[in-house]
Amino acid sequence: MTDAAEVYRLISANVQAVVRGKPRVVRLAIAALLAEGHLLVEDVPGLGKTTLARCLARSVGGEYRRIQFTPDLLPGDITGVQVYHQGAERFEFHPGGVFANVVLADEINRGTPKTQSALLEVMAERTVTVDSVRHDVPRPFLVIATQNPIEMEGTYRLPEAQLDRFLMRLSVGYPDLETEVLVIMSDCAGVGPDELSPVVHPDALRAAVAQVRATHVEPAVCEYAARLAAATREHHALRYGASPRGSIALVRAAQAVAATHGRGYVTPDDIKEVAEPVLAHRLVLTPDAELNQRAPADIVAEVLAATPAPTSPAR
Amino acid sequence: MRTRVAVGCVLLAAAWAGLLFAPVFGVGPLVVPIIAVVAVVYAVFELCARVPVLVPWRPVVALAAGLLAVVETVLWDTTAAGVPTAATVRALSAGLAESWQLTLQSTWPARDDPELLLFVPLAVLAAAVLGVEALRRPLLAVLPSLAVVALSQAYQAADGVAATVSALAYAVVVATLLGVTSGSWSARRSLVVVPTFVFALAGALLAGVLDPLDREPYRLQADRGVVPPVRTVSPLAELAGRLIDPDEPVFTYTATHPVDRWRTAVYDRFDGGTWTASPDYRRMGAELDPRVDGPVVERSADVEVPEPEGELPSQPLPVAVSGVAPLVDEDSGMLLVPGADRALAYRLTWREPAVDATALLAAAVDADAADRIPEQGPVPAGAAEWAREAVGDLRPTFQTALALEEYFREGFRLARGADLPTGSAWRHLEEFRRVKRGTSEQFAAAYVVLARALGIPARLVVGYRGAAEAGTVTVRNGDVLAWPEVAVEGVGWVPLDPTRSARTTAGGPGLAAAAERAREVLPPASELPEPQLEPTPVAEAEEPGGAFPVLPVVLALGALLLLALLAMPVAAAVRRWRRRRMGVPGAWLEARDLIRACGVPTTPGMTVRDLARTAPDQSLVDALHELAAIVDEALWSGRPGEHTARAWAVVRRIRRGLPAPARMRAALRP
Repeated sequence: MTDAAEVYRLISANVQAVVRGKPRVVRLAIAALLAEGHLLVEDVPGLGKTTLARCLARSVGGEYRRIQFTPDLLPGDITGVQVYHQGAERFEFHPGGVFANVVLADEINRGTPKTQSALLEVMAERTVTVDSVRHDVPRPFLVIATQNPIEMEGTYRLPEAQLDRFLMRLSVGYPDLETEVLVIMSDCAGVGPDELSPVVHPDALRAAVAQVRATHVEPAVCEYAARLAAATREHHALRYGASPRGSIALVRAAQAVAATHGRGYVTPDDIKEVAEPVLAHRLVLTPDAELNQRAPADIVAEVLAATPAPTSPAR
Repeated sequence: MRTRVAVGCVLLAAAWAGLLFAPVFGVGPLVVPIIAVVAVVYAVFELCARVPVLVPWRPVVALAAGLLAVVETVLWDTTAAGVPTAATVRALSAGLAESWQLTLQSTWPARDDPELLLFVPLAVLAAAVLGVEALRRPLLAVLPSLAVVALSQAYQAADGVAATVSALAYAVVVATLLGVTSGSWSARRSLVVVPTFVFALAGALLAGVLDPLDREPYRLQADRGVVPPVRTVSPLAELAGRLIDPDEPVFTYTATHPVDRWRTAVYDRFDGGTWTASPDYRRMGAELDPRVDGPVVERSADVEVPEPEGELPSQPLPVAVSGVAPLVDEDSGMLLVPGADRALAYRLTWREPAVDATALLAAAVDADAADRIPEQGPVPAGAAEWAREAVGDLRPTFQTALALEEYFREGFRLARGADLPTGSAWRHLEEFRRVKRGTSEQFAAAYVVLARALGIPARLVVGYRGAAEAGTVTVRNGDVLAWPEVAVEGVGWVPLDPTRSARTTAGGPGLAAAAERAREVLPPASELPEPQLEPTPVAEAEEPGGAFPVLPVVLALGALLLLALLAMPVAAAVRRWRRRRMGVPGAWLEARDLIRACGVPTTPGMTVRDLARTAPDQSLVDALHELAAIVDEALWSGRPGEHTARAWAVVRRIRRGLPAPARMRAALRP
């Protein structure tokens, strides 16, 4: 089983057994995994962001670790430390929490900036450097982080450089009435993330990731992604628009979404589908726009409406 | 290659706009500088294409090279073997500031002097450089040359076939430009702009054909003239003074035919005390085209004036002057070189109408001529009574004018010798009436006053007698002469000779000779028949300016409306044809326009699936989803295949699924 669409189908069915009524969020979350990108799930408490993250983590075989971010968490707890081994009379490396295939960084904004920064290297390069020695983390390597955007006390806002490392930022959102009833009934029936079994082996996920990376992208679609990113840089309500890393992320996420749709090529619709989760958290509003309570998601929607979609594969 | 063609079109548009100044300068003087300018700008474009480091400096380099081309072709005389000098810079700056204005002050076609011509190649240069730099936006690139077109038409509007051909040629160049740049330009915009050009042209053509008024084309020149410095002593006032020293030479002329009179000043206003002229002086252009009904004889003479005093000896209908660049009053033929401080030699060419004496004798006076003379001044009290004494109650005709001339010829004596009366004010004329003796000044002034009292438009001319024979003639102070001219309908201003001083030969051409022949057959005043006047055609009496042509305007508007109605479906069909050739992308654009015709708002960022989400009907949603799948497969899969027929089949299904009003809107939208 190496087909990316099949991997998506399996994980999606597994996760949706617990996370009810959020197929789009689940699709995008799985797309982030297939693109081997990291995922930030952000929403108010109680909407199931940790549940979603745990379900994703549980669905993929391999090693899974959860790091609960608190203010007293130290960088060494994440990356690992060198410990002196008296018997061998030498320092030995004790890996930290990030040495796993799937890492759940719960409530990441409760960690201090110093601790948050410990994730920078591993998220970008998938290696950890301790005492000038590089240690590779296992592949696939996925960080699923959650954070609560409304509580400010005792939290540390993620720096832009850290946010840029996340491929997508997703919000779960409130369920509708029917879905909420289903969620309650599932809870009563004892269905939770811990009940889920891994449905995809890490090797299959690796193969699916490779297949996603090989998804065909026409130059005109790449240009469309670049134009969208460029349009955010020129938007009057933004102090900083999306970086080239943002446009790269746009195409990679679109490749994964195309795979979830069972297609071997990317369309402009794929780009548009992932534009908001990929770009919104990379935008920095001007003070005026913040005062006017403008949301980055609305600005992405404006940019999507104003930027001509390609109508021909020729650039 | 497309860029080269586009640059060529921009330069061609600028050159063509410059050539539209042909009615002002003629084509010949414009061709070389304009071609030089556009060729240099194109050369700079090619150079910058090969040397990328020059690209940011291209407008500066093009301007400098273009200015050099203008200097070499127009201002060569100011250069030192082609190298610009300080004089070149002065001429260039003077040309920039004044040439457009001097041209407006000249008669047209204007002389091809650099100080007049310079602004045209400079305007073409500006249009070419700005156009090439604005080429990324083709419509913007057209604007500079369009501005030059507007300027040329403000100077002298083209009319009739010339206007249509000029507009057509310009539109073809612009259409080619828009065509070759359509890659960087949305097809939708071209669908609006190109038909607009075509219909504007068709409308212009139709209006040109249907316009029955045959009006003079607009020209800016009509409102501009030159006001020369006023002379302290007028030629009329110094007439008697010249007669005191009759042997003093004034000027010399050489002609192969007799010239009976030379004029220097024409006076048409008299306030009872002073005679003044009201010339509308302009700079003499290359050639004048005086309007003369009937056959004409063209004459010329070489004139040398050793001590010019401003006014130059001239003829009533001058055509060209070479050797000097004078001011000219086209109505009177007066030539003026203000501030001349050295001897002048020039060749004057003029026309002399060949008029039949019998027809002249039967002609009425030109009543409109009096209206053309501003502020003639009141007829002095007593003039009417004197006029009745002279010719009785005759109606104002040319015969009456001759009869009045005969009155002076028979009843008055020309003063000669040293004791000469001076002045031409009314009190001098009353004295002249009393003593019946005077110089040609009093004869001519009295004649003009009496003629006006009789209703005959007349004016006073001062000049010199010529000679009855050909060859080189020296004109002296003693030849100074004043004479009256009367306006005759269909003929012009006919010179008369109440003093019998002019050396007119009845056999030659010209109005003076015709008047001489008419005199020979003129019956005595008491036997003059009443002129047979044609009845005034009441039906044709129109208010000044003519009635508004309702029918042609309605017809033109109707034709334009019909054209527009026909044009919309034609344009829609052309659009569909072009989109079919585009294949699947064309089908997508067509489907988008069809959905838009339902009133669904669209944005540039919409894909087929976005459109499906906004479609008002489920069948349309299904069709659009099907089209989306085809578009995705055809455009983005990287696997070429034949999807066009399927895509257009879906488009047809979408069209059939539209409500009738939306289908109609879609069919009529150009």
